[in-house]
Amino acid sequence: MNTAPDNFVQTLQDAGLGSEWEWKFGSWWTTPQALDVRATTMKMLALNARFVAISATEQPDKEIRLHYQWDLNGQLLSFVTATLAQRIASITDLCPAADWVERETREYFAVEFTGRKNTKSLMTRDGDPIGINLHKEVEK
Amino acid sequence: MSYSIPIGPYHPALEEPYKLEVICDGGVVSDAIMNLGFNFRGIEYLAERRNYLQGITLVERVCGICSNVHSLSYCRTVEQLTGAEPPERAHYIRVIVAELERLHSHFLWSGTAAKLIGFKTIFMACFTLREKVMDALSTISGNRVNYGMNCIGGVNRDIADPKAILNILDELESDISHVVLPIFLHDKSVESRCKGIGILTTEQAKAMGAVGPLARASGVGQDIRKSAPYCAYDRLEFNVPVETTGDVRARLVVHALEMVESCRILRQALSKLPEGPIHTKTSAGRFKVPAGTAISRTEAPRGEVLYEITSNGTDIPERVRVRTPTFMNMATVRLAVIGQELADSPLIQASCDPCYSCTDR
Repeated sequence: MNTAPDNFVQTLQDAGLGSEWEWKFGSWWTTPQALDVRATTMKMLALNARFVAISATEQPDKEIRLHYQWDLNGQLLSFVTATLAQRIASITDLCPAADWVERETREYFAVEFTGRKNTKSLMTRDGDPIGINLHKEVEK
Repeated sequence: MSYSIPIGPYHPALEEPYKLEVICDGGVVSDAIMNLGFNFRGIEYLAERRNYLQGITLVERVCGICSNVHSLSYCRTVEQLTGAEPPERAHYIRVIVAELERLHSHFLWSGTAAKLIGFKTIFMACFTLREKVMDALSTISGNRVNYGMNCIGGVNRDIADPKAILNILDELESDISHVVLPIFLHDKSVESRCKGIGILTTEQAKAMGAVGPLARASGVGQDIRKSAPYCAYDRLEFNVPVETTGDVRARLVVHALEMVESCRILRQALSKLPEGPIHTKTSAGRFKVPAGTAISRTEAPRGEVLYEITSNGTDIPERVRVRTPTFMNMATVRLAVIGQELADSPLIQASCDPCYSCTDR
């Protein structure tokens, strides 16, 4: 159920978060041409938004699509982007809440978050293979 | 000279598998390193290899305490994709089961906290009360743990006799107001043991993305039932208790007051339970999930649960993402124990209401 105020998209636009927003299936979605995750993180923190999650999905071309999800006054915002050669900038130094999520995403989908200080495994043990959630059996 | 104490992987106080490496200067904790993954089962991976109906059964096994909230979130997400809106009676039944689950989870937490405080009388009292809630859940669903209540488009079982649940609720409310509230809110022993320890400030809670009672005890007044209402929560009156001190005592107070609010929600939902069907026709299995991505958020006993499901149009989901509340809350333990007495660390860890089964999935 969309409970956003009428001027919600305008609020996002005024904050420099773009104007192409669509409410669909439980979230506000935007797919910018080239998402700068660090700049977006700073804008969301300036709005006092709460970091919720990063959701990764493997694409047929083996690229990984990422959804950066934030809660702004009870509204869920999803910024959609794709990794470049399965690498993307880390936001943990700006938003500590993303630390475990980035570590988990690396282990499940082999996405490297560049600029991280702590690269220790979270769910698996150090030295275990990464990308354990990738659809490998499809290739067989 | 600092020294390190490895605790776990089988935690002696919390009786769950995780490992905490506590670094101390004398008796004071200077840092803590958490090791997780001992309960990692690859639930997301498995859910992407089962059809939507099998997925409901699977995700209910993410957690043994808040099992219902996982199947509820999963079904709500698929319902957005299919458009299978549950009937009004199903919305109310979902609220009733969710609040009973919150009550039994909070009683479990309160009992565990009381045991770590050293107040074993209250531990016994809380677990006795929890049994009454489990009886109510058993009466409704036939099960004490995995209730199997949710299906896509509604619920599997009706509540035939709401008055029987109301009678149990009468007893619970009386016991909460006469036993739990006086101890957790006013008892001097509990206050002196919990006040001022394990503080998580409002800024820290926000920075770490903390959710649920832990965040609300640190002054972050978010609750998905209020901010993004689902099921029948927007038709029911309740308050969201918030404390600002961020210490263990604040967490006790928030949990105790949330029990009162859950009883209040239950009484309204049971009294207003509308007539009608309990699921749409699609819940007989005749539904098609079109391609797309849907998200739902639900307020579990420990805070916000997020499910994101991507469908490729087949009967097996392309992606099932599960983000549990403890996954966000556990990292705050490090901040809460630094500078505290080592002897207080088990209580501080427990006061975050951790669930490692949820966290590891």
